[in-house]
Amino acid sequence: MKGQLGLRQSATPKTQVHHAATHALQSDGRSSVIISVFSTGSGIGKTVTAINLAASLANYGHSVCLVDLDLQFGDVVNYLRLQPNRTLFDACNDYKEDKKNFHIEDYLTPYTFETAGGNEVSFDVIAPPKTIYDAYTIEVAVVEKIIKRLKNFEFVICDLSAVFSALNIAVLDLSTVVNFMGVIDFMPSVKNFKLGYDTLIAFNYPESKIRLVENRSNSQKLISGSDVERVVGAKFYYNFPNDFPSASKSIREGKPLLAVAPDSALTRGIQSLAGMYSNRPQIEIEHVGAPSIFASVVKFVKDLLGIKSLAR
Amino acid sequence: MPYRVVLVEGDPLMMDKLTDIIQNSPEFELVATYSRYDQALGQSAIHNPNLFLLDLENPILLENLHNFAKNFPKAKILGTISKWSEDFAYKASVAGIDGCIIKPFTPAEIFSAIELYAERGKKAPPRIISFFSPKGRAGRTTLAALMALHIARKSDESVALIDADLQFGDLPIFFDIQPEHSVVDATHDVSLLTPITFKPYFHKLSDRLYLLSSPDRPELAELVAVQDLINVIAMAGDIFRYVFVDLPTAFNPISVGVSEFSDACFVVSMINTNLEIIHMKRCLDMFEMDKHHGRKIYPVFTRVNPCNEEQREKMSLELGYDITAIFPNEYSLVSTANSGQILRHVFPKNNLMIQNVEKIAEQIMSNKM
Ligand SMILES: Nc1ncnc2c1ncn2[C@@H]1O[C@H](COP(=O)(O)OP(=O)(O)OP(=O)(O)O)[C@@H](O)[C@H]1O
Ligand SMILES: [Mg+2]
Repeated sequence: MKGQLGLRQSATPKTQVHHAATHALQSDGRSSVIISVFSTGSGIGKTVTAINLAASLANYGHSVCLVDLDLQFGDVVNYLRLQPNRTLFDACNDYKEDKKNFHIEDYLTPYTFETAGGNEVSFDVIAPPKTIYDAYTIEVAVVEKIIKRLKNFEFVICDLSAVFSALNIAVLDLSTVVNFMGVIDFMPSVKNFKLGYDTLIAFNYPESKIRLVENRSNSQKLISGSDVERVVGAKFYYNFPNDFPSASKSIREGKPLLAVAPDSALTRGIQSLAGMYSNRPQIEIEHVGAPSIFASVVKFVKDLLGIKSLAR
Repeated sequence: MPYRVVLVEGDPLMMDKLTDIIQNSPEFELVATYSRYDQALGQSAIHNPNLFLLDLENPILLENLHNFAKNFPKAKILGTISKWSEDFAYKASVAGIDGCIIKPFTPAEIFSAIELYAERGKKAPPRIISFFSPKGRAGRTTLAALMALHIARKSDESVALIDADLQFGDLPIFFDIQPEHSVVDATHDVSLLTPITFKPYFHKLSDRLYLLSSPDRPELAELVAVQDLINVIAMAGDIFRYVFVDLPTAFNPISVGVSEFSDACFVVSMINTNLEIIHMKRCLDMFEMDKHHGRKIYPVFTRVNPCNEEQREKMSLELGYDITAIFPNEYSLVSTANSGQILRHVFPKNNLMIQNVEKIAEQIMSNKM
């Protein structure tokens, strides 16, 4: 992991990175949109979001592959009750053995569900390794190759773990869009969200690549989304409402929200974000946010993070 | 009253130097010097010494160090070494002497060492206890902080918290401090430090409770090499009787290396969808493969409801491993910790979370865990 975070800022000026990215995109003929779902805190709702983005995009008729890159403790197979035959571990091993005869299709676990309206919707999943030991042996460079092999999918959704690991950074680099999520409840969450955002910014991605998404935005808490926007210095691209009943029902029943809670605000929210990522006309969604009454908290966070000015 | 000093030193040049230093200081009276272990042990009593400075680089002396501790229980006993060594320090603690000092030393350094080891507590090897979790938000940091707090309050021994969650450590927020030093400075400097010069890197939180913070920027995490961090923890164990290390989530070189070095590791997961049992099992299987390291693994779950013995047994059965403890969902406590109030807050006696934490802490203190 050494050197992944710190050194790149000085190494490559912004414009160069930008060009390099566009260039790579054209030369390897990749056509999928890669959306990575990332956060710098656990339990933020990445996996719920990744699964339901995949389900919503598939429901819109797109071909979608959901890649669980939380290699050690991935939840996609748990949340969808999948029993994969082959995993990313097998894919990496076989790829290394024989690139020529490697077919990514052999490593996909198909998933089909029925929406509440009776539509059959399918997408594919790449499951994480079966044991942590296997996860530990996976090489970042090989995972990059595997993701590039998914170019026949219109959308590739990558569910990540909540750290800046070498793997996550490589996947963030490959991504078209980084869906960077936060739940703003306590001080550590604000701090980690801010640190995560600053670190992403230091990677010199084009600004529009990083989409800040607040989850559980109307839950009871001491800090409001708009306070956080000021501390972070950027606007949320989207807010998902707090909807514990729907989220937990979906996990309990092992199915996407479209199947178990089609009309809930959370389902509509994730669908609508999927629509934005696939250039659909927008569904109207009420904006939720708590009032900014705890100015002292903002001041505390500001002092803590050493932010000189809140004015933008 | 000056200290009555017995000096044992095998190197004649060093003997001259140390003799000089001690004789020139009014705080010390040099009552005897020896170059041999057996003479020192056999003859010292007659001088009624209350401070021994013993050459640990003398192999026979080192082997018999415990005899000084046994024969002179009231005296301060410092081992002298030319260069900081975790190995010597550990042997000194096993032998039951106060600690070590790097020679040559100044009179002030002798006093600093005496003071440092007096605050440390029992003359015994350190307890290095690590806190691991497969995922974040598991209550790992809260548990570590509450246990450390309890031991610092209830024992007369000192406790260090080391925040090794290098990218996203939260302990500075829990204790509402702005630390001057971090693990990054400590690991950078460790090869030049001694216990006396290292202690100021810790932020004193309250009586006998100290914190070494995580860095304030995630990219600084990359500057920390595992072996340096282990050296830092080892030296912390010489300064503090208890060292609690909050690890980064999941298995990575830092969490694996440090948990192997610790003598006990709590594996912390919360219960939310119950699928967490699967993750815990994967963790424990992984630790099981690694068990030749000899440290004890204690699986615990937080946010368990109902939180009773029956539930613990039921979950243990499901997990296939015995769960050491379960903790209830205690929103007010989480909120207290997360808003930097943990030190000032007075927890009600009947709080089940606190009661369960204290039970574990008591077992650690009595070496039953
Ligand atoms: N909008 C929401 N409202 C209420 N609960 C939610 C919401 N989104 C997610 N959750 C709940 O939060 C929990 C964590 O969600 P999820 O597993 O998706 O997080 P994650 O970011 O992937 O976590 P990790 O970093 O541990 O992989 C789940 O139990 C889910 O039910
Ligand atoms: Mg997840």
